[in-house]
Amino acid sequence: MTAGGPLWITGASAVCSAGRTAEAAWQAARAGRSGIGPIVAWNAAGWPCEVAGEIAGFDARDFVPDRKLHKLLSRMDMLGLHAAHQALADSGLLGFRDSLPEGERPRFNERCAVLAASGGATYSNQYDFFTLLSVAHGGLKSFGEELTSTVSPMWLLRTLPNNVLCYAGVQTGFKGPNANFTSHSVSGFLAVREALRLLADGKADRAIVVGYDSPVEPQTVLYFAGLGLLARDAVRSFDAGRDGCLLGEGAAALVIETADAASRRGAEPRGEIIGAGTATEAEGILAIGDEGEAVRRAIEECLAEASLEPDRVSMIAAHGNGTVPSDASEGRALLEVFGIEGPPVTGFKWATGHLMGASAILEAVLALLSLEHGEAPGIAGLRRLDPSLTGLRVSPSVQPIEGDTGVVVSRGFGGSAAALALRASRRG
Amino acid sequence: MTGRRRVAITGLGLVTPLGNDVASTWNGLMDGRSGVGPITVFDASGFPTRIAAEVRNFDPDAAGDRKLLKLAGRQHRFALAAAAQAIAAAGAAPTKRDGARWGCVVGSGMISADFSALEELHRRFVKDDRLNDGLLGREGLSSVADPIEFCRTQTVAGLSLLTHRFGIRGYTATVHTACASGGQALGTALNAIRAGWADRILAGGFDSMVHPLGLSGFCLLGALSTDNDSPQTASRPFDRTRNGFVLGEGAGFLVLEEWEAARRRDARIYAELAGDGNSLSSYRITDSHPSGDGPIQAMSWSLEDAGVEPRDVGYINAHGTSTPMNDRSECRAIEAVFGPEARMVPVSSTKSQLGHLIAAAGAVEAAICALTIHHGRAPGTMNLHNPDPECALDFIPNRTRAGAVRVALTNSFGFGGSNNCLVLRAPEAAR
Repeated sequence: MTAGGPLWITGASAVCSAGRTAEAAWQAARAGRSGIGPIVAWNAAGWPCEVAGEIAGFDARDFVPDRKLHKLLSRMDMLGLHAAHQALADSGLLGFRDSLPEGERPRFNERCAVLAASGGATYSNQYDFFTLLSVAHGGLKSFGEELTSTVSPMWLLRTLPNNVLCYAGVQTGFKGPNANFTSHSVSGFLAVREALRLLADGKADRAIVVGYDSPVEPQTVLYFAGLGLLARDAVRSFDAGRDGCLLGEGAAALVIETADAASRRGAEPRGEIIGAGTATEAEGILAIGDEGEAVRRAIEECLAEASLEPDRVSMIAAHGNGTVPSDASEGRALLEVFGIEGPPVTGFKWATGHLMGASAILEAVLALLSLEHGEAPGIAGLRRLDPSLTGLRVSPSVQPIEGDTGVVVSRGFGGSAAALALRASRRG
Repeated sequence: MTGRRRVAITGLGLVTPLGNDVASTWNGLMDGRSGVGPITVFDASGFPTRIAAEVRNFDPDAAGDRKLLKLAGRQHRFALAAAAQAIAAAGAAPTKRDGARWGCVVGSGMISADFSALEELHRRFVKDDRLNDGLLGREGLSSVADPIEFCRTQTVAGLSLLTHRFGIRGYTATVHTACASGGQALGTALNAIRAGWADRILAGGFDSMVHPLGLSGFCLLGALSTDNDSPQTASRPFDRTRNGFVLGEGAGFLVLEEWEAARRRDARIYAELAGDGNSLSSYRITDSHPSGDGPIQAMSWSLEDAGVEPRDVGYINAHGTSTPMNDRSECRAIEAVFGPEARMVPVSSTKSQLGHLIAAAGAVEAAICALTIHHGRAPGTMNLHNPDPECALDFIPNRTRAGAVRVALTNSFGFGGSNNCLVLRAPEAAR
């Protein structure tokens, strides 16, 4: 896969309820502080679920300085654009590009890929039609007649699931190969994997990969609650008493470059992406098999691509969404691949909520920071390990990491699973 | 690039405004028929645009069993039907043994929610144009929170139905780059087979925005033709009088297969999917640069990826939406890539007959390119009677054209600035 040479991570970012930067979010997780709290986006008192991982004090101006864009972007789009810019700032890439002679910049821009993992369509975007529905009094004919005088001409553009891809391109000038994955929670690793392929194939020198989502919406909360997927107050991954997941919003991004391209501009690696794998169980949109078969195959494919033996893995960031069937089957797959008392296992959804389209990249960034710090944050709400998962090395408190290599797991609707292997370059 | 895995197209399936399978769609194209007419699936009489290219006489219950279809919206049913055709045509279906080596990559639309659900939400829970949070919190669980509705409105609903229906257990992905989605799905699948992530991939696109919200979105932007009294000539790409695109719906699916695996089982190979080029315009959300910048790179990169020269290209299926801006910018791009010989390359826009299938367009048009190579006849650009002097290429106006095509290109450019170009090559030309 990486026959063309190593693929470096040269920039990383995150914004989520646990913190507005990757470091702040990681430090919060390390200290056992969760970003989950009472929902403020609407009055959720008395709702089937009253808590989520929202970004406290959200103000569009904090995330997108250009106020003209505020009308054209949804909240999740703003978070995504912000994360993309933060990762680019971490990498120093734009400063380098702008130091090049003007004549070389177009080529540089065409060799920068832009990849996004998007939450896709939202329910609340359609609420812009409420006024029209009121005016139309239930008649489609009058709905059509009053349309243009009632709804913003920009409505469709604001709902585009590829807005972050679009505006990241417009704002950076990057014009290379691109893709926008709307494949639920595995989207992030599909996007990273696409970046790895483009770089390994020589189609691009660099890629910005951003995941973003904001599923904390009234209808989504009701649907999830109706399906029994939501916890009462906390995500207790792998705990015997776990009772579900909680929603969260945010974004995260990685800048990935070929070692050659990065070292030519004097950039240091933060880490390396060494492999990825994906698989599907195909039993339906919500079905989850007992054995975590797709999780196992995704990890095995990822380890094979990374030429990594399971005993060389120093930590695992699990999907751990806190629902009974998902954690049980994922835990079994982890035990099968890594054995009893394998590497330390952690998860981050207790601290951030489940960011859906953004979760995979967010958790990869938090895993990278864990490897850099040599510590895996604990799973704060964990009281007693699910007895069916004895031997899974999870802990409510911080676990030291011996080594530099992590595997991150993500699962999505439709029985999809993905895994990513990465190695940190800095320690301590 | 030596030793790179090559990819054969061994199955095709189509549900389009011209017909609900490959043969009827192809015959409709060859007969120069239009699939455009007055909108019938809902009362569009009050909208500025009241015409669309609808899928007609489609049996919504034929695409799967009842349990599966319960979770399928109109666009998902198109997808299931087209995918079943493609797999049948390929003569190879996923089995328990090889399902993990099959992949599925789809381009899926931008809105999936059901309009009647929005109406119901509005009727019961909206007061003064705002959601009544308290009431919704108390009563929503027993009324709004329908799990079937939830499953049907997920962005991965189509992918999930397809993998479940056909037992596909390997690399799977849903992509969305607006009108480039179908093309990008095929390009993603092509590269996944090359990379060894899968040996066979069911790939394509599906969409239906012929519903009140979809029509509203494009009406608000002023992107649609308002030729309500002459639906059959409303889509006229490259014509001086063109005034917007016509919304279509449908699905196109292809079975892509690693070349040697296809040869070993003596599969019928329609064409080789030989190249993929993807660029970002990074200019404006709805337009490419008038110079063709963006599309130029997508076309050049796809030719380079396929290892073919511009002079080898015998047919281009244009994005050709029939909007003033797209068609002009696309012509500039073709001229830039093909140079002085640009006028020698036959170019047509089948959107003149099919309308614009949005997230399905790129996949359906790639299938049309495969059929063009297979049958040795290219579809034309209908309704082209007043050539735009700004668009001076060989558009095969108002008829079809016979002749062997060794290499075909298909363009798909999306809102958001993603541009996709695919290269297809005749199987005998692919040594």
